[in-house]
Amino acid sequence: MRKVKRVTAVAMTMALGASLFGCSGSSSSTTGGTTAADGDEDALTYASITLGEDYTDLSTTIKFIHHKTDREEDGTMANLIAAFNEVYPNIKVETEGITDYAEDSLLRLSTKDWGDVMFIPAVDKADLSEYFIPYGTVEEMSEYINFADQWANDGQCYGIGYMANAQGVLYNKQVFADAGITELPKTPDEFIDALKAIKDNTDAIPLYTNYAAGWTMGAWDAYLGSITLGDNTWINQKFVHTAEPFKDNGDGTGAYALYKILYDAVAEGLTEDDYTTTDWEGCKAMINNGEIGCMVLGSWAVVQMKAAGENADDIAYMPFPITVDGVQYATAGADYNYAISATTSEDNQKAAMVFVKWMVEESGWCELEGGYPVSKTAETSFDFSDATILSDAPALEGEEDLLNQMNATSELSFNAGGDSKIQEIVEAAANGSKTFDQIMEEWTEKWNDAQEELGVEVNQ
Amino acid sequence: MTDNRLTLAQRLSGRKFQRGLIIVAFMTVPLLLLFVFTYLPFAEMVGYSFYNMKYIGTRTFVGLKNYIDVFERSDCFGALKLSLYYMVGSVVQLALALYLATILSFKVKGGGIFKGFMFFPYLINGIAVGFIFKFFYTRGFVFDTVLQWCGFELENLPYWLRDQSINNWSLVGTSVWRYFGQNMVLFIGAIMSVDSDLYEAAMLDGANKLQQFFYVILPNIRTIVVLNVILSITGSLSAFEPPYVITSGANGTGTYFVVMHEIAHTQQKVGLASAMAVILLAIILFATLLQKLFFKYVFRNADEDEVVRSSRRRRKVKVG
Repeated sequence: MRKVKRVTAVAMTMALGASLFGCSGSSSSTTGGTTAADGDEDALTYASITLGEDYTDLSTTIKFIHHKTDREEDGTMANLIAAFNEVYPNIKVETEGITDYAEDSLLRLSTKDWGDVMFIPAVDKADLSEYFIPYGTVEEMSEYINFADQWANDGQCYGIGYMANAQGVLYNKQVFADAGITELPKTPDEFIDALKAIKDNTDAIPLYTNYAAGWTMGAWDAYLGSITLGDNTWINQKFVHTAEPFKDNGDGTGAYALYKILYDAVAEGLTEDDYTTTDWEGCKAMINNGEIGCMVLGSWAVVQMKAAGENADDIAYMPFPITVDGVQYATAGADYNYAISATTSEDNQKAAMVFVKWMVEESGWCELEGGYPVSKTAETSFDFSDATILSDAPALEGEEDLLNQMNATSELSFNAGGDSKIQEIVEAAANGSKTFDQIMEEWTEKWNDAQEELGVEVNQ
Repeated sequence: MTDNRLTLAQRLSGRKFQRGLIIVAFMTVPLLLLFVFTYLPFAEMVGYSFYNMKYIGTRTFVGLKNYIDVFERSDCFGALKLSLYYMVGSVVQLALALYLATILSFKVKGGGIFKGFMFFPYLINGIAVGFIFKFFYTRGFVFDTVLQWCGFELENLPYWLRDQSINNWSLVGTSVWRYFGQNMVLFIGAIMSVDSDLYEAAMLDGANKLQQFFYVILPNIRTIVVLNVILSITGSLSAFEPPYVITSGANGTGTYFVVMHEIAHTQQKVGLASAMAVILLAIILFATLLQKLFFKYVFRNADEDEVVRSSRRRRKVKVG
């Protein structure tokens, strides 16, 4: 959860960063190094480097500043650098973990003497070329990495994520294998069948709801829109204007299908016996030991589940089992991005480029953190090859606060702490007190009442 | 003029005035604190209850709409029904406390240890109590294990927190467990202050222990009993910690306070939550008043009655 908050914080401070750095925007352009944009044949680009062959005789010291103080302290960072030095013994890497990274890094960046490699703080995209050198064009970089356009300007890619976060389903590979599931489920029906197979063939709890923790139930909302409809504008733009957002599309898509998975799983006894006493800390070890088949949580949870026991390799992540017109969608976005200083010496830039490429492709750091892969070639436990990755689009101008207002007025609070409405689905399914259609009708009524109260334009 | 000034000066140095001055001076500080931190915020809250507002942003005046909503919404007013569980619990709690207090105020071996053990839960933080009982009630954990020792089969045991017909009783149980020790200690204190001559007199009159309890102890600790009943009933109207910590108000255990918390902090409908608070206050005042009247009637003229009752008692004893 903390990670999610931090990413949001970065986004929020973006505007602040823009105003902070706007004033220095007119100073001289890049000093050292050449850029791919010059069309120089020897241009330093990410693509032009072959790890282990190029620049092996380069001897210099570079400095990398980052926010992962925990990895600095537990020795992970030192191990990564040591592994790097086996290939490039002459490039010394100094690392520094900064506690209050989001703010401190901005201050350091303004001094132009902060080192060689950093994670991009909240700066304005227009100012990227002033601080950093590009890795190559976005087009070119897209062959190597995901999310190449996250920190791009004028078609140049300035940032490469060290890991990414995705929305899908956390599962235990071993449990799925034991249950005889050979192909990952892609539709709600297949998913329920898979859960039944787990119940019939193993002792594991097929789907652990984490009902008691509350926020773990609210996590179901994160799949709305991009994943349930393959439409990344739905949640922040169209949802508030939709007349019947919870109607049954009949083809296993939409919000209806999403929450119906939960209802059906509970109604058919495919979840934990006593949902009222679930234990968030306890579930980590349970899924690690193969006592749980899967959980619906963001990929940030992967690293915690891996760390909770001895079977880290069994923990894996798959796209959410909803298929829209034959395509499975997932949402994902890069965490902090590596960037190389534009103001350091040419040698250091070369060394930094080598270091970043090695970190992204060879270090395995992303996988270690349980992150969704950034490099397209590095090994990963994520099986998202068939899914189309989307990022939710922001709200329309002038309507930034509308979803919040709708959430508050309707009291459904999607993606905003509306845990109780999803807990009620579990209760209704377990006690048979309401049918799923009744719940969806209630939600639609609340949503429509709120639209009326706020005077929101409704599209049929 | 001179005369007047003299009288003024005389007045200012007069004993009466000085005393008044000191009283006012000493009372200003606590009254000011009371006003600033209790009455002013309360008045503000009453004001909020007429607005449709969040913590930040614009507010619009909606008159009595919030109050009407409270009565119309099933989740707001309906939550008060759950208080009945806690009221029944508080009766059990007081009866248990009174019973144990009576026993423990006579010479019992290890009485101090028993008192300590039974008072101990009250010293534990409410949140901690919640966590303790969450695991206590978990399927196959403490409670189920203990019952299995007693010969129950796990299959026959209910899900203490999942089954909606008993989960509120489970929560009430934690509340009784926590507070009966405190009630008991208060009762013991009151019973201790009963003049021991009365017991002796009662014994000489041939009263048994039960008669001693009803005719000597109970009338003498009347005040503290009334106080405890009032506190327990108002406490059960505003039950919060057990449902909030153990079940987070889900699964049909959301009491009025939990619903109010959800509305105020998750949904950010501050106006509606304020209206709920005002209504709860009115209900509590009303309940307290009713109890006052009830006890006034039950223990009517206890002092004057004493004569009548003791004569009646004498007669009874004679008959016996």
